[in-house]
Amino acid sequence: MNSANLGVAFWYKKQSDVSYYFALKEVNDSLLNENTRLKRQLAAATESDVLKDSSVIRKELVNDSVKSVQYAHYKYLQARVVNNSIQAASNFITINRGAKDGIEPNMALVSGAGIVGRVTNVSTHFATALSILNTKQSLSSKLKDGTSSFVYWEQAAGPDKLLMKITQPEIKIHKGDSVFTTSYSTLFPADMLIGTIQKVFIVKKDNSRLLHIKPATNFRNMDYVYAIKNEFIEERRRLEDTTQTQQALQKK
Amino acid sequence: MIQYAKYLIQFFLILLFQVIILNNIFLNWWVVPAGFPVFVPYIYPLFILLLPFELPVWALLILGFVCGSVMDTFMNTPGMHTFALVLIAYLRTNVLLALLPRNIKEYKQESPSIKSLGWSSFMIYTTFLILIHHSVFYIIELWSLNNIGYLMLKILASVITTILLIAVYLLLFSQRVSQR
Repeated sequence: MNSANLGVAFWYKKQSDVSYYFALKEVNDSLLNENTRLKRQLAAATESDVLKDSSVIRKELVNDSVKSVQYAHYKYLQARVVNNSIQAASNFITINRGAKDGIEPNMALVSGAGIVGRVTNVSTHFATALSILNTKQSLSSKLKDGTSSFVYWEQAAGPDKLLMKITQPEIKIHKGDSVFTTSYSTLFPADMLIGTIQKVFIVKKDNSRLLHIKPATNFRNMDYVYAIKNEFIEERRRLEDTTQTQQALQKK
Repeated sequence: MIQYAKYLIQFFLILLFQVIILNNIFLNWWVVPAGFPVFVPYIYPLFILLLPFELPVWALLILGFVCGSVMDTFMNTPGMHTFALVLIAYLRTNVLLALLPRNIKEYKQESPSIKSLGWSSFMIYTTFLILIHHSVFYIIELWSLNNIGYLMLKILASVITTILLIAVYLLLFSQRVSQR
């Protein structure tokens, strides 16, 4: 019993159809921002200024003799948020795409600005996702220089704050630095923005530092999200499991 | 049977109001650096509070379970609403026995309202049960005493907001009762 049930999701859909209209302006702005960001990334990747000259498009040659095989690791699907919570200990998001549209459990959910959560339950037309604002699961993360740690959340911290602990004292941390996802996570693609550092606290007990991170996604109003499927996750997990069992057997 | 139709309508009305409107209003009273708790006012226990006097405890428990399960389904919580609501459905009769001037069996076909109890008694009855409901719910939800101040603030803020909303609801409905 969860809000991916058709009867429950029906009411949330009706409700979001009404409230969606009032958020059109914000949706527009957020899409424009995202577009600009993507164009900038594209410009950096292709070394041609697509912002100034949008006609510059490099087509991939199919019959190229020097062909590197590229796998599409990630499949993106778009969805609309029909229900969302921020006040509970484990917050959930209901989206209007389900098994029929190719949503599966354990797909990652990201917004235009940053990461959102993980799909947990799927029904025919809807799916629920556990937001990163939950006390049960943490997420591996890294700073700009590659120092990896993990991001977690506490209910008392509120919806606008994520926490991250850095134990290495030699790492330099500045306010406003970005925090990204790592490739260790089997869920999110690497180098996606989690948020920016808001405050740095020094924990006297073990001389580590506690970072307060402002999430890039605004969890208070989310409209459009993308569900990401990692096509190679099964293969990777199988390989990692095999390695682990082999290690365990060798120890015996 | 027909007199129970009113309660059925009330059930749908309160739950729809809770789910469609209140669940999307994330309140925090003010923004301070430490972060004032964000909460949703839960007014759905009002359904149990307004059921008629003559209903036996077993019926109250079943109704509490049904209502709580519906809320749990909508809120994606594993039985936390059900637990809190069944608890106050059980305690309801005892609180009423303590507050009512006459024996509970003398109230035929009446339900707890401002008309039958009076403002002060009714507010005591409501506040007491809502306080228990919210305390139990938030304690189960947080399940740690590390942030006891946060827990207290959240319970207090949420109870006060809920009581205010219930008072508004009652004012709207008692108006209609007096017109009949």
